[in-house]
Parts: sequence; structure tokens; C-alpha cells
Amino acid sequence: MATASRSAPSVPPLPATTPAIVELDHVSKQFQGKRQVTALDDVSLVIPRGQMVSIIGPSGSGKSTLLNLVGGLDRPTSGEVRVDGEALAGLSDDRLTRVRRDKIGFIFQFFNLLPTLSCLENVGLPLHLRGWPRRKVDERARELLTLVQLGARMDHLPDELSGGERQRVAIARALSIYPPILLADEPTGNLDTKTGDDILGLIRDLHATLGSTVIIVTHDMTVAASCNRTIALRDGRVVEDVNRNVTS
Amino acid sequence: MILLRLISWPYFRKHILRTMLTAAGIVLGVAVFVGMHTANQSVLAAFSHTVDRIAGKTELQVTAGETGFGEDVLENVQSASTVRVAVPVIEAVVDSNIKGQGNLLILGVDMTGDRSLRDYDLESGDEAVIDDPLVFLAQPDSLIVSKEFAEKNGLAVGSRLPLGTAEGERRFTIRGVMKSSGLTSAFGGNLAIMDIYAAQKMFGRGRTFDRIDLAVRPGRTIALAEAELGAMLGPGFRVEPPSGRGQQFEAMLAAYSMMVGISSLFALFIGMFIIYNSFAIAVTQRRSEIGILRALGATRGQIRRLFLGESAVTGLVGSLGGAAFGLLIARGIAASIGALISDVYGVAQQADELATSPALLLGAIGIGVMTSIVAAAIPAYQAARVDPVQALQKGKYQVLSAGESRVRVAAAAILGAISAACLVIPLDRSRPVFYTGYVLAIIAALLLSPLLSLALARTIRPVLKWIRPVEGALAADSLIQSPRRTSASVAALMLSLALVVAFAGMARASYDTIIDWMESTLNPDLFVLPSQNIVVRTIRFPKTMGPELEAIPGVERIQMVRDARIVFRETPVMVVAVEIESVAQTTRRAPLAGDRDDMYRRAAAGEGLIVSDNLAQLQRLSLGDVLEIPAPAGLIRLPIVGIVVDYSDQQGTILMDRTLFERYWHDDTVNVLRVFLKPGAAVPDVRQRILKRYAGTRQVFVLTNGELKQYILKITDQWFGLTSVQIAVAVLVAILGIVNTLTVSITDRRRELGVLRAVGGLHGQVRRTIWIEALSIGCLGLVLGFALGAINLYYILQIVHHDIAGMRLAYAFPTNVVLTLVPTILTAAFVAAIWPAESAVHGSLVEALEYE
Repeated sequence: MATASRSAPSVPPLPATTPAIVELDHVSKQFQGKRQVTALDDVSLVIPRGQMVSIIGPSGSGKSTLLNLVGGLDRPTSGEVRVDGEALAGLSDDRLTRVRRDKIGFIFQFFNLLPTLSCLENVGLPLHLRGWPRRKVDERARELLTLVQLGARMDHLPDELSGGERQRVAIARALSIYPPILLADEPTGNLDTKTGDDILGLIRDLHATLGSTVIIVTHDMTVAASCNRTIALRDGRVVEDVNRNVTS
Repeated sequence: MILLRLISWPYFRKHILRTMLTAAGIVLGVAVFVGMHTANQSVLAAFSHTVDRIAGKTELQVTAGETGFGEDVLENVQSASTVRVAVPVIEAVVDSNIKGQGNLLILGVDMTGDRSLRDYDLESGDEAVIDDPLVFLAQPDSLIVSKEFAEKNGLAVGSRLPLGTAEGERRFTIRGVMKSSGLTSAFGGNLAIMDIYAAQKMFGRGRTFDRIDLAVRPGRTIALAEAELGAMLGPGFRVEPPSGRGQQFEAMLAAYSMMVGISSLFALFIGMFIIYNSFAIAVTQRRSEIGILRALGATRGQIRRLFLGESAVTGLVGSLGGAAFGLLIARGIAASIGALISDVYGVAQQADELATSPALLLGAIGIGVMTSIVAAAIPAYQAARVDPVQALQKGKYQVLSAGESRVRVAAAAILGAISAACLVIPLDRSRPVFYTGYVLAIIAALLLSPLLSLALARTIRPVLKWIRPVEGALAADSLIQSPRRTSASVAALMLSLALVVAFAGMARASYDTIIDWMESTLNPDLFVLPSQNIVVRTIRFPKTMGPELEAIPGVERIQMVRDARIVFRETPVMVVAVEIESVAQTTRRAPLAGDRDDMYRRAAAGEGLIVSDNLAQLQRLSLGDVLEIPAPAGLIRLPIVGIVVDYSDQQGTILMDRTLFERYWHDDTVNVLRVFLKPGAAVPDVRQRILKRYAGTRQVFVLTNGELKQYILKITDQWFGLTSVQIAVAVLVAILGIVNTLTVSITDRRRELGVLRAVGGLHGQVRRTIWIEALSIGCLGLVLGFALGAINLYYILQIVHHDIAGMRLAYAFPTNVVLTLVPTILTAAFVAAIWPAESAVHGSLVEALEYE
């Protein structure tokens, strides 16, 4: 449930029957150090399946923390995070990892590709981790790299690619299992405007084609405006939650 | 100094584990060095202590090797103008037959004169025992024991003590207990005094003494007495102060001491590599810190001194810890050396107290600090050369540059070529050239090890990827991307394994050679011995036993053997006196030099000597050379008529006919009777007959051919027990090096491992990545270690042949040990990876993904 909601008149809300895929219930996150820092403060949210959501806010507002909690990379200090109906709080590290690898794809600002693996190997990585047969992994990785228009660069190492190409590989990797949720942390933050636009277009195309729920953390209002919904954070709290009708 | 406090100290505190691992390298090296040398020194000191305590006021001793000499010599010595008092002594070490008490040193003395050299104050017992020599003479079963021995075993005057003698087990009566004194502290207090004539009888000495102890007449110098007695007695006798026996003991242990020296130096060298590894990694990781310091105005000299200072402090801490740990393990090593000396050389010696030498400890600490500084010199030099601009940029500093690789290959090729060229000149022609070649070969291998590690890592990547597509590929990539991080660990492991392979190869070659020698030479069916320990020669048989045994049904032939250690060219060597004519008929083996028939004919006629191959090698002897052997009855001057393979003694053997020995040493006793059976006679039956024949009258031990060979192999096992110490060191090196490398590896790859976990890698999968990396390092070390080991083995066999034991050992790669090392090192690598793997899966995922 959003703490603040301002629905744009032109954007019809999703049908009430659309099931929630991500739910945050009074979630707080504090970091202990020499002094305690509250990154998220009693946040409650529901994100329905298939929605493309942007999370905006200034530095230190808690955007990345929220994404990390949804992605199971971190655990809340209090409150509950549910992904596809499964509460993450009580899960062991390995169970949490299984949730990540079965339901979530990550796209990072700095790509986080493994430098020693080729594009094909990077994309196939999550599938290998799931124990897929090599041939099937290879087929899927090739298919996805072709989808992100890198069919000619499959055996290249990340160092041999441009920033935009690297992000495409990262997207292909995130999609390798066709996850129901795609989390992107500043996916265009490290790219020039033209490349950033291309990547955003690609994400929107994939969202439209595959129907995944997409949550994008961004500083870029253009990126935010291209999403169905925008949640604004400040000082760890949701200060604005805007639904809009967007055409791809 | 200020930089050490501001820069180094916080770094050490932050990387406490790595600092400890760095110091552990030096702890290991210094501990092995101190432990082995202290143990060796302790055993030597214990022997000298015993000699010194037993000597009392003795100023000179007259000896003729182990053989002893006739009673007539005593009168000659006593008549010398420079001698105040001269007394005969017999020494025998017997099993005390008391559980946990080990051996008892029995000193046979003539109480009439002996009290002028030694004090025998009695704590209890009738003083008449020592005041009136007739009391002792009249009761040959009398013993005086030390207070220490009596108290430890609840013995008192009147107690009976059964001891094994040449005449079988005899029960001795304790007539007196000596007060604690210098004398009673000899041989760890396990000391007993017996009348010399009783000792002659009990230990089969006939009418001989082992030595004469004497004091010089007032107003005459020891040197004068030495000169007078030397001239009077001739070259067959040694006249020297008691300390001379310690020197002979030391000379006897020379080969063992050399092995200990090589092992401990290698341990230090390996410790140096662990330090080098740590500092090389530290320089790489601290490039940006060095860059900042340089940008702020630190000079190259200050940076160099900073790293050298760190290494000196680490070296000092590690050396102090190593010295303490070395002293802790020295006692255990000393016990094992004591057992080895007893079994291999027949000299029972136990070190109850550690001879801790401040000079050794200071020297070891100094060597440890210097080793540490030397090890850090190259990384310190590299640190000083860091360009501040480049250092502040991010980049891959673990990678070997193409230029560096070229320099390494070129240097290794040049050194390898020089090393190969050195082999053209054999060791016995030029030692410096041979040893230079050896050192250069090792340096060339060390220079090449990073490149070879890299090439091997590239080779195994497809295999690892095939086995585990993600974990295998990432583990191999980690090695490929950071050869600098990996190579020093691999190099340390390589060196360590090369040493193990060389020693194991030497052990295997020795086994093969000894087995071959035993099969062709030791072919009697039974061996009759006066002691359970075949190398103990303090109890002997009379020669009348030969015909007695020959009369036993089933016996076809008896060969009487008398072996004794004598001093030849200032080296203790073994004389083996046998009936050469009989041996010629039972030995199949052809000599290495000389004509078989002519050799045996001339030796049997007393016209020549046969020498062992190892003696010929160590003393540079050839067929036809005339040997001069000092004996109590004069100087034997005979040619070498044959050189044979014989491993009766490490320092070499001179074989001669018994008649010649009897003539020159006036000694017709026997150490071993070799028994050949008639065809069809059963070994167990004849053995029983022999035991029955001497039951209650003589102490005999009968060993079958198989038992004797097993006994010899057991002694050989003990001799090569050092190999297991080296394997332990290799395992420790593997663990230390791999933990060090992996600790850095997981820090370097924190983000990569974070990504792996983020995209779905389970704990088990991340762990496997680290484990595979560790196992791969183990594999690289094993491959390179075996390769260098194969080269090292060649050099070690040459050194053993020419400089240590004179044994001509055939080159044979120790496949069995290598097969054992593979699982051992891989297990060690896996154990080393457990902690780093756990730390890799338990870090914060968010921090790992943000890590730069």
C-alpha cells in the first residue's frame, strides 16, 4: 500500500484483480555503524504482476536499498518482503538464492559482467548455476544475445565491448531464465544519452514482449516517465506514487 | 619509522590473518632449523657429557678403535715415564630389562687403580667393595649402580638385577649404590660399575681391554705424554684427550648431520618464498597507497625502506616464534635421532637435556630476519619503482607484463644453459662447478615457475570448465588472471615437493641397491648374534663357537665375521674380517673392480684388501692403491685387490681375511656367525637346535635370512624417516601458501563472487569455486614440483655418491611416493581452502556488489 498516491488521470489503474508479485509491509532498514543510518523507514508497497515501475529520489533516499531488499540481496531490519507470495524473512541464504535465480533478473549500473567469461558464458551463467544441460544453456544464451542484437559478439570478452553492448549482455543475462521480475539499478546511469535511450527501449520492448514485472531505480526523469508507475522516495520514505498510462 | 607506524601498522592490523601467515613462513623455516640443529647438538652434547663424566680426572685415553687390545699394552703404558696412573676400561651397553628404562651403560674397571681417576663414594653398601679390590674380584656378579638408577627402579644393596651377557642372562647383585656425582650423571644416570675381569668374561672380551685411561705425571705435559705414548705404541693406537671420542662420534654422524643441514636450509628457503609471496601480493594490493605516498612526496628510498622495515619486523617476530617452536619440537627430534643412532650406528645415546645454544638461537633469529629481508627485497624494489600516476589509476597489476615474461624466459634459458654446461664436468672433478650448476638449475626453475603456472592454468581451464562449467571456469580464470598472486605459492610448493621427491627418490634407490646387495651377498640361511641389535658390538662370541655350530645337525658351513669400527685417514670406517675363502664360495656377485678369482685368492692369502665401493668413492681409492691401516700390532700395508658393493657401513668398509685381522688386532672374537644349511635341512629345526645348544650358557639370537633383511630395511626406514618430516613441511607449505593466496584471491574477486551469488550461485557453488582454485594451485605445484624433483633427484644422487655416502645409486623416480603425495597435497589444498571459502560465502552481498 502506497503511503502517498497521486494517480495521473490519463493512466488507468491496473485491474484490482491483478495479483501482487512484490509486497513490502512496513519495511525498515537501518545500517549500524558509528551512528545508525535509516535507509528505509516503514515502507509499504504492492507491485502487481506485469507492471513497469520506476523508483526515483535523490542520493541516499533509499532507492537501491529498496531494490536490494526486493531482490533478496539484503534483509530488512523490520517488516516483511514478499516475492510472488513468498515471505523472504525466514528464508535461509540458499533458499533466498533459489528465489533470486528462479524469479529475479538483475541489471546493474556497472554491468557486473564477469570479465574473464565471454558474452555467451556470461549469459549462460545463471542457467549453468541452475544445472541446465550445456547444449540447452548454449541455445538459450545464443537466442538471448541475438535478441539484444549481439549475435556477432558472442565469443567476445566484456573488455572488448562498448558500455552499451555490455549493458545489453547484462540484460540478456538477466533475462536468461525469463524471470517474472526484472530489477534494474540505474541501467542507463553509466551510458551516454543515445545508448541509454537504446537500452531503455530494449527494456521496454522486452517488458512488452515477455510480460515481466520491471522495477527500475533511476535518477533520470525521462526513464521514470516511460514507466507505468513511479514511486518517489525521500529520506527512506515513499513521498509519491504515480500511476500513468504509457504506450510503448 | 613514522611510516611504519602510520602506514604499516594499520595495514597489519587490518590484515591480521595475512600478517600471521607471512610470519608463519619464517616460523616454519626457523623452527625446523632450530629444532633439527638443537636436537643434533643435544645428542652430540649428551655423548660428550657421558664421555666427560666417565673420564673423571682422565687426561689421555689410549684406544685402538672398537677392537680393543691385549692386556700387555697396559703394562707398556704404565711403564711410560710421563704416566702417573693408567687404568684399563671396558664399556658395554646392555638392555636393562626394566620396562621404560632402556639401556644400562656398564663400566668395567679395575678398582685397584681406578679410584685415582674416578670417585666412587658410596651412598649405601659396604665400603670394602671399593676399598678392597679382592671383594669385587671374588664376587664377579657384583655391580655398583648409580643412586639415580637405583632410586628410579627401587633397587638397593642386595637387590638382584638380571642382565643379558655373552654367557646368557646372568643375575647380578648390587653391592653398592654410588652417591650422586658427576660420574653418576653420565648416560642419563643409567650407569653401573663392574670389575674389569668380570666384564671381560661377561661381554666376551677375552683377554682384552677397550681402552686405557691415564693421568700424566706431575711436571709432565699432556703433549709430552701423547708424544711418548704415540711413539711407544705405534700407529695402531690413538692417544688423545677424552674429547677426541666426541669428535669421532661427530665424524660418524657426518652424513646424518649433512642431511639435517640440507633439510633445515631448504625449510628456511621455503619460508623465504612464503614471505616473498606475501610481500609481492602486498605491493600489488597497496599500489594505490604507494601512489598516494609518492604523490605526497615520499621518495623511492622511503618506500623501499618502508617495505624492508615491515619485512624485518615480520622476520623478527616470525624468527622469535620459530626459535621457541623449534625448541619445543627439538626434544622429540632428539629422541628420534637417539633411536636412529642406536639402531644405525650401534651407539646407544639419549639426550635427556636440550643443548640450547644461545649462538644457535641468535644465529637462527639473524638468519630468519635476513631471509625475510632478502625475500622482501624484490617486492620492496618494485614498490619503490611504482609510478604515482599509474598507481592511482585502476588496472591489472597481478598480470605479468610481456616484457617481464621475456626477461624471465631469457634469464631462465641462460641460467639453464649454464647449468647444463656445468654437468659436462663431473662432481668429482670440480665441486664448485657442479654445485654452481645445481643452484642455477633451481634458480632457472624459480624464474620459469610463474610462466609455467600460467601455461598450465590455461591448459587445465577447458578441463575444469568441462567438469564444472561455472565453478571450474571461474577458478581457472582466477589463476590465469593473477599469475603473480598464485606463482609464489606454486613456487614454494614446487621447491618443497622437489625436495621430497629427491629424498624419496634417494630412499627408493637406496632400498633398491641395498636389497640387490642383500640378495646377492647376504645369502646365509641363519645369522647367530650376541645381541638383538645387529649393530651393537659390545658383546662378542669366542671363536670356538664356529666349530660348535658346524657340529649341529643340518649345518653345512659356518662363516665367522668380526666387524669393528676403526679410524682410517681420520674417518671412522668399518673393518669386516671374514673367512674370505669361504665367502668366495658363497658370494655370487662380481666385484666392481678387480678380477673375482684373483681378488678372493689374494685377500684370502692376506696379500690384499677388498674395499667397498662407497669407501673407494669417499676416500678416492682405486684398484691397486696401497692402503695403510694402523693396527695395534703394526701398520698394515696392502694393496686394494678388489672393489665390491657393500653397505655394512655408511663411511665405508674394508674387508680382510680373519687371519690377517687376528694377527694385527690380537682379537679372535666373533660378532656374527653366518650359518649355511645342508640341502633339505629345515630352517626352523636348525634354529631350534642352535638355541637349545646354547640355552643357559650363552646369549644367542638367531635370525633367519628374511628376518635379517627385514631388520636392515627397518634401519633404512629409520634413516629415511627424515622424508616424512619433509612431507610434513611440504604439507604445511601447501596449506600456508594456498591460504595466503586464496585470502587475497577472495578479496580481489569479492565483486565477482558477489555477482555469482546475486545471479543465483548457491553457497555450495561459490565454495566449489574456491575449492577448485585451491586444488588447481595444488595441481600446479604438484606438476612443477615433480618436474623439478626429477632434476633435483639427479643432483642429490650425485651428491650422495660423491660427497655423502659414496653409494652409487641408480636413478629411479619415486613413483610410489609421488602417488602418495598427490592425494596428500590435494587434501592439504582442500583443507587450506575451507576457511577462505566460508568467508567468501558469508560476506555482505550488497557490499560485495558495490566493492571497487
